[in-house]
Amino acid sequence: MKKLAGLPALAVLSALSVAALGCSSKEKASQQEEGPRWTIGMSQCNLGEPWRVQMNADIRKAAEAHPELRVVFKDAQNDNLRQRSHVEEYVRTGVDLIIISPKEAAPLTQPVADAYGRGIPVIVLDRRVLGDRYTCFIGADNKRIGRAAGRWIAERLGGSGRVVELKGLMTSTPGQDRHSGFVGGIRGSQVEVIFEADMKWLEPNARQEMESALARFEDIDLVYAHNDPGAHGAYLAAKAAGREQEIIFVGIDGLPQEGQIYVKQGLLEASFEYPTGGKEAVETALEILSGQEVPREITLSSRVFTTANVEQGGEWLEQ
Amino acid sequence: MNGQISPGPENSKLARLFRSPTVRALLSLLVVVLLGLVFNAEGAFFKWGTHRDMLRQVSVFGILACGMTLVIITSGIDLSVGSVLGLTAVLFSLFSIHLGWWPWLTVVACFAAGAACGAASGALIARFNIQPFIATLAMMVFARGLAKFVSGGQKISTAVMQPDGTYQYVEVPRIFDLLNARILGENLTVVTLIMLVCVAGCYLVLAKLRWGRYFYAVGGNEEAARLSGVPVAAVKVLAYGLSGFFCALAGICQAAQELQGDPEAGMAYELTAIAIVVIGGTSLRGGRGTIWLTLLGTMTIGYLEKILSINAVGEASRLMLTGMIIIVAVLFQKRES
Repeated sequence: MKKLAGLPALAVLSALSVAALGCSSKEKASQQEEGPRWTIGMSQCNLGEPWRVQMNADIRKAAEAHPELRVVFKDAQNDNLRQRSHVEEYVRTGVDLIIISPKEAAPLTQPVADAYGRGIPVIVLDRRVLGDRYTCFIGADNKRIGRAAGRWIAERLGGSGRVVELKGLMTSTPGQDRHSGFVGGIRGSQVEVIFEADMKWLEPNARQEMESALARFEDIDLVYAHNDPGAHGAYLAAKAAGREQEIIFVGIDGLPQEGQIYVKQGLLEASFEYPTGGKEAVETALEILSGQEVPREITLSSRVFTTANVEQGGEWLEQ
Repeated sequence: MNGQISPGPENSKLARLFRSPTVRALLSLLVVVLLGLVFNAEGAFFKWGTHRDMLRQVSVFGILACGMTLVIITSGIDLSVGSVLGLTAVLFSLFSIHLGWWPWLTVVACFAAGAACGAASGALIARFNIQPFIATLAMMVFARGLAKFVSGGQKISTAVMQPDGTYQYVEVPRIFDLLNARILGENLTVVTLIMLVCVAGCYLVLAKLRWGRYFYAVGGNEEAARLSGVPVAAVKVLAYGLSGFFCALAGICQAAQELQGDPEAGMAYELTAIAIVVIGGTSLRGGRGTIWLTLLGTMTIGYLEKILSINAVGEASRLMLTGMIIIVAVLFQKRES
């Protein structure tokens, strides 16, 4: 009796896995019918952030327009070593090109260099690897976006005002760059940061920190959050305190289903786009595969979405 | 209190008083509140709004801690609370915002999903003798995966994707505003009220119902409980099922406050919930503890976070201070043997 106890669980588990595997093999089959000429291996460092889910969606969408391409996706779940083995698997299965958005530079430099050394072109997306053993780097510049946000804010406030800064995780480079860029952008103006807190990219934390800022300061002109969920959390805190009308909210990322919607709804006054580069990666991959020369480094330009221009698709920032 | 120790009936009364877990839990809370009085951030600590916001912020954790207390009293642990919260937050937003279900149907469906997750862990523990740590660890991973599967990895918000790939935003359903509102002349948030109702409900179960006494019996000595006719397996399934139910309630409150269902919501919340229960003084060995202790623990954690936040203390010092305060609170609770 005791021995049989595990059987139903096992049966359920095997049924589930057959269903799950069945789904993915069906997907593959339908892609193969179209006879793709090239296979691209995409290694994403994690799919926990909506921005990275969007990056994969952008790649998928861009690749759908090209029947000669087949893209295989792998999610490393924020684990350097898992991502390393994904790259090694791609090399072993003989993909034609690798796109990698690495978790960290140091642990992934060697696997990327090995793949590159075996003649597989590698596009590094968003975060960098060390050295020059890769084909092309595509990414946006957080410092530049932070600086643009700082300049925009200084101008919007007429040169002076009291600002709350809700920072992303300050042990991460995007958080550091969005902060230092912003500080550079408001330099020379009378804009003063009266309260700053690390909300670790999380909306509930942002709401809590903003409540504290509201309790301490009667007079807040603007909230600059390092991502749109942070700005949204701050907006909700201000709304609960009945002070959302007197404060301007500015965020970063500008995802279509997140920041852009918040701007359309009038919750945020501006959101600065941090482009995923998914589309550009597929375009560059096609150029490489068809034997064209591509630049070593492509810096993506980004847009600002404001209440005034969001319906027209935003406005490109100056380079 | 003249500092002199005089052996007498009064002193022993004081000593007895100090031995009560409730008084010790109150003491931890008092220490933290005193910190707030000293570091009041230019008077921000003296505003009622600060306390109301603290209660709002900590309510979701308090609701999770209610279920965690029940499980810990049966000498178990539930690591899946954060993930089940995330799952139910996603389901709640999906049903009410995207599918436009009738609000109460949505709520009942979420309760059912949460309780089912909990009962599944409970059944694995009771029927197959899997250790609570392992069974709920598996549920933690599984529920997080399910949340991501159901939501497609994206937050379920009022931005609804149209067939052509563009996004349209819809109005927030009324139930969100209802749960996100304040009552009693703007003085109490609805989520805090829900937490207080949960605490009262747990009190009724633990102190007034026969099944509540079974929880203590199973946690105190499982074999003795079995021999005296307590349906041990059913008690365990009920404890984890109730924990799952509270997770669903917390998930609904979380989604209502964020106006969206985030599949990543509740990450590491299980640790805060366990910390709350332990700071309150409920023993991880099981068989002891009350829900009032958990309420005091909830307030202690809530005030600690609030005080660090209004003073804009940096992340590094925050983590170190929180770690130290947890140790101090637990030392307060340590009984002399």
